Amino acid sequence: MIELIDRENHQKLYLQLHSIIKKKIEGGEWPIGTQIPTEEDLCKMFSVSRATVRTAVLELVREGYLKRQQGKGTFIYKSAVSDGISMMTSLRELLFEEDLIFSTDILARTVMMPVDDLDIRLEIPPDKHIIYIKKLHSIDNEPILLQESYIPYHICPLLLEDDMRHASLFDLFEKNYGIKITRVRNHIEITYLNLNESRLLNLTEGTAVILLTQHFYSGDTLIMYTRLIKRPDRFQFLIELERKLL
Amino acid sequence: MSNGKVVKDVMIGIFEYPHVPYWFSIGQAVRIVKVSFISSKKYTDPMAILVFDEKYNLMGTLTLKDILRGLEPDFLKPSAKAQVPEENESGLALIWDTLFTKGTKELAEKPVSDIMTPAKRFVEPGDPVTKAAYLMLHNDLALLPVLEDKKKFVGIVRMIEVFDAVSDAIVKE
Repeated sequence: MIELIDRENHQKLYLQLHSIIKKKIEGGEWPIGTQIPTEEDLCKMFSVSRATVRTAVLELVREGYLKRQQGKGTFIYKSAVSDGISMMTSLRELLFEEDLIFSTDILARTVMMPVDDLDIRLEIPPDKHIIYIKKLHSIDNEPILLQESYIPYHICPLLLEDDMRHASLFDLFEKNYGIKITRVRNHIEITYLNLNESRLLNLTEGTAVILLTQHFYSGDTLIMYTRLIKRPDRFQFLIELERKLL
Repeated sequence: MSNGKVVKDVMIGIFEYPHVPYWFSIGQAVRIVKVSFISSKKYTDPMAILVFDEKYNLMGTLTLKDILRGLEPDFLKPSAKAQVPEENESGLALIWDTLFTKGTKELAEKPVSDIMTPAKRFVEPGDPVTKAAYLMLHNDLALLPVLEDKKKFVGIVRMIEVFDAVSDAIVKE
């Protein structure tokens, strides 16, 4: 039975359509790897405009349910419940226990060009502008975490006007701009402080510290690349992995 | 003279030009010029970079001339005492050539704030184009920032648009 759009419902049409398609994916009616109907067919099936279909599909692409393939169509990319065994981890736990952070100083919030390998890391052309944000987090006035974030300017042009001292970039994306982070790729290594970093963290140059680099994705779109340098002596951090068996 | 045109009629967007923070090195600025203008064959006039502070306030501009001047060895720079005869100029240029690999690479480590043209003069969107022309001529500026309410950086005025607007009166007569 085809679930239809309820025009008496006050919810926006694209949200209703988004919910219907999501149910089909999660329920297995539309299995992973299959192609979804064309925009035109979806318009006919649900008696909605092309703009409504496009918005709903884009949102599902951003959430990682669908994947667009140039010249071929749009395909089911994943269901909420995996077919196999997956390792799930909460995004929050990878953000270095943000609740423990008492104060944040914004050292820089500006726009620049992607130098070094930033264009590759951000998956953008080298002549596109990016937003650069540098924060220093402290506990009891002791600096413990240096955070540098790089965001392609076109993703969020108004971001610089937001209050970044009291909200994480992660929250700003989700709450102010409706950009849902669906995937975070983390890389942890030991690095050595340069002069500038050592001054900010009150450590000597060359001190070994933990470097966490994160790539934040919404669907297939890379939203942000972040470098977190953390004093190794202040606290540990936890990544909890949960194995989902079907 | 400018047919009543004001700055906002001729200004262009700030994202027409690359942005860098003041702590970027000259070497990084050189690579940005290559990517943004030379490799992409976007030969705008002038080719320049906008330099900002950590709060995204405009600090200055960096033209190709500023960059080359920043890479020039100190002893080649003209001083009031040393008059260099014209015939020796090519010789000095050759010395620069021999020093280029070592000396210039060291100079390229300097921050762009050391060599930029500080942004001291501005126009407002509602100012007449002739005011922009006057400021650019008398201060030898390639670009003029446009500030809204003396604070928000909203655009750029270039000589080509100023020339076009100001010269309309002559062409139309």
